[in-house]
Amino acid sequence: METTLHTRREFLRTSALGAAAAWTLPVFLEKTFFALDAMAADAATQAATGKDNTILVVLQMAGGNDGLNMVVPFADDIYYRSRPKLALPADKILKLDDYAGLNGKLTGLKALFDEGHLAVVQGVGYPNPNRSHFRSTEIWQTASDADRTESQGWLGKYFDSCCAGADPTVGVAIGEQTPQAFVAKRPTGVTFSKPEQFRWQPSEKGGGALSAEEVFFRQLNGMEDDAAAVPTDGGSINTIAGGNKPNQSALDFLQRTALDAQLSSEKILAIARKYKSTIPYPPGPLSASLSMIARMIAGGLPTRVYYASQGGFDTHAGQLNAHDRLMTGFNDALTAFVADLKQQGNFDRVMLMTFSEFGRRVAENANGGTDHGAAAPMFVLGGKVKAGLFGKYPSLSELDHGDLKFNTDFRAVYGTILEKWLKAPSETVLGRKFTTLPLVG
Amino acid sequence: MFDTLPSRDWNSEAAAHLLNRAGFGGTPDEVESAHKQGLTATVDRVVEGATAENGSFPAPAWAHPENIKERRMEIRAAKEEGGTEGIDKMKEFRQMQNANVLDLRRWWLERMATTSTPLLEKMTLFWHGHFATSAEKVQNGYWMWLQNETLRHHALGNFVALTKAMSRDPAMMIYLDLQQSQKEHPNENWARELMELFTVGIGNYSENDIRESARAFTGYRVDMTNQQFRFAVRQYDAGQKSFMGKTGTLTGDDIIDILAAQPACAQFIAKKLWRFFVEDEPSPRIVDGLAARIRQHKYEMRPVLREMFCSAEFYAPAVRLTQIKSPVQYLVQTTKLLGADLPAPPVAQNAMRQMGQLLFAPPNVKGWDGGKAWVSTSTLLFRYNFANYLINGDAMRPAARGPAMATVPPRNPIDVAKIVPAELRDKPGELVTLLCQRLFGGPGPERERTAFVQFLEKRAPDTSDQTMRELLHLMMSTPQFQLT
Repeated sequence: METTLHTRREFLRTSALGAAAAWTLPVFLEKTFFALDAMAADAATQAATGKDNTILVVLQMAGGNDGLNMVVPFADDIYYRSRPKLALPADKILKLDDYAGLNGKLTGLKALFDEGHLAVVQGVGYPNPNRSHFRSTEIWQTASDADRTESQGWLGKYFDSCCAGADPTVGVAIGEQTPQAFVAKRPTGVTFSKPEQFRWQPSEKGGGALSAEEVFFRQLNGMEDDAAAVPTDGGSINTIAGGNKPNQSALDFLQRTALDAQLSSEKILAIARKYKSTIPYPPGPLSASLSMIARMIAGGLPTRVYYASQGGFDTHAGQLNAHDRLMTGFNDALTAFVADLKQQGNFDRVMLMTFSEFGRRVAENANGGTDHGAAAPMFVLGGKVKAGLFGKYPSLSELDHGDLKFNTDFRAVYGTILEKWLKAPSETVLGRKFTTLPLVG
Repeated sequence: MFDTLPSRDWNSEAAAHLLNRAGFGGTPDEVESAHKQGLTATVDRVVEGATAENGSFPAPAWAHPENIKERRMEIRAAKEEGGTEGIDKMKEFRQMQNANVLDLRRWWLERMATTSTPLLEKMTLFWHGHFATSAEKVQNGYWMWLQNETLRHHALGNFVALTKAMSRDPAMMIYLDLQQSQKEHPNENWARELMELFTVGIGNYSENDIRESARAFTGYRVDMTNQQFRFAVRQYDAGQKSFMGKTGTLTGDDIIDILAAQPACAQFIAKKLWRFFVEDEPSPRIVDGLAARIRQHKYEMRPVLREMFCSAEFYAPAVRLTQIKSPVQYLVQTTKLLGADLPAPPVAQNAMRQMGQLLFAPPNVKGWDGGKAWVSTSTLLFRYNFANYLINGDAMRPAARGPAMATVPPRNPIDVAKIVPAELRDKPGELVTLLCQRLFGGPGPERERTAFVQFLEKRAPDTSDQTMRELLHLMMSTPQFQLT
């Protein structure tokens, strides 16, 4: 805890302030540190930063990925009967056992499986599956029961309960929107898509030394100088930051976010400029996100959870080619990412988990596509992951409204990752205990 | 509870607070005129004046129903013929709908920015978040526009009537799959959300209530030949239903009446209303008090709003300038305060998306969480940089340019003379006071004021337009500017 605190202060001073005037920490931040000291005794709190900690990468396959054509039950006649147009021929399948195998495009993942670094969890879902994208995504993001609406995300709850006082970059989402999984009581984590845009742009053109505008901007966004730290305003009750108002929570929150943004933006930009991979990544947005994550890992950003997503899985029509392209993009991006991590020597520190809000219906529809379904497989991969098939392939004959029945609750996978990989108390985060799977070797 | 604000407390800051919360903010002139007018007269104007007639605005040219059924048949026929014509036709139809929704966003933002009845638009926005429906699923500009007009029509009217109207609203019916509900298999999506999110809130109904009420809403259909609601009597389950202690051949409207009679319903609406207009965490005393007024007025919103905007609680110092502006509020209020035009539609659309509140596309049926959820590191930095674009124009274009942005006309820097008087340019103290009044709705935060003045002093003798624009950007690149 000492170390974390110290590092954060150091970080505040060195990376953001440089040779500027003498600054002190803003009051609201000091408050945070007091609270942090008090929490040090709490077993749930852990030092969340550091170069040696484990890292989780969450990869969302948005739109409802067709699990049946990703992990294919090639030995099952029902599969072929249900999908006259969409079933993949058995000889193209990369066999994992004598019943199921990977989509033929997933050659990199098959290699990982053979090396012992890919776990395939079959038949993952939850009771009373919801077939709405929005609602089911929300269920996966908040780890709630299907009949409960919760607003906080499961990773947000992890940040709240286990990473209090951590560097803002403890959670990094690549994209424009903070994923709901990150939503927390006390927001932590940063979201950005392009590091060069993740910074305040002054009106002035031209570079070089810090402009007057930029110096003042920094002063206005979290850093108080000593002179101004003395409360000067007692007269007006309507001032925004007058030191005498009892309820400053919205302002405190904004100031902290502003500071987080400013501090992390410098760090992220610096890493993005310094670390470039020599591993070639294929084109495409997922590839770009994973490549950015690899750079951040190489640069030692103190992040525990990265989040990336790939869209386009809602294949109601003309699925064959579309899903092929998606699988190719997915495979190639992941293969490059793994090669990159191996080259960095970080593969053993990283675990990547995929999920999609639901699988798709067993039977194909009239438009050469598939409709919203239920249970589907998840991939978990990494240097320390125990390879193999987990759970069991759901029966293709005993269906629930035409959909596969789950046998592994997705929260058992979350719980395993929390307990075994992030070393966090899963019950605190998920609200109850789920059976742990032997995914980590 | 809800005593009228004493007239000695009605000052220009109170007036600014009312215009901010009941609308999209006021310029210093508008604030001053409201102040002079007095509390009662101003609230009268704001609340009683907010009628559909006063706030009328021409509909977009494309906003009329069409025969979707015919259109779908054409596409299907072309597809069956083979070749690419069917797919082209389908693409063309989708692109047209996307263009219509883009234009619909322009239309509403312009309406908010120019209306003489801002409360009407603010309440419509409130209901849009409450009866959240997304064009991403509905995929049709006309239906989204129609729903928006229905929300507006009832915005300050009766909540029960509005809820019944929403149960027959095609966009809502499509969004919550009500139009697919069959007598044999009643769809429970609408029934569940009606209770959980629109009326009584979670914990105030049983699973059996959901199943029974789902039966009552069977037969609700959308006529695809004219895009209107239609009741299919043969699909309606006319049997006995038991719902919240009442038994009978209950209809959908009966269900809504029973829900409105639950104490939890008024509580639920009261809390949401106070959160939207006043503070994130209302005390139980406030919620109970407001719920009692809602019941007293039988869910008529106009008298409830009137009492709310006159109340001392609404003007409590602890709630002033503590609300994080929603992205839509930010966009409309900022352009207004800068005396600038709204950004071009694709820019506005992109900005709303990146700030986390894209009109006609709430993230899910719960609507926008609001409050602190508006702000993350990326949305805050985006706001700061977007302020730069609003002030300086194309010199600073925000974020990525998709294909839609290629057609965006250039944006010029704002006309500084509109808001910065020439005679104050070389008087940093007075200038900052004036601009704080405009941008922060008050004297402004002390520490920040000092920084703004120092910035001008550092720049002296340069008092160019560019320096003034930098000052404005600096003022808007603060946590405080995000509050209203």
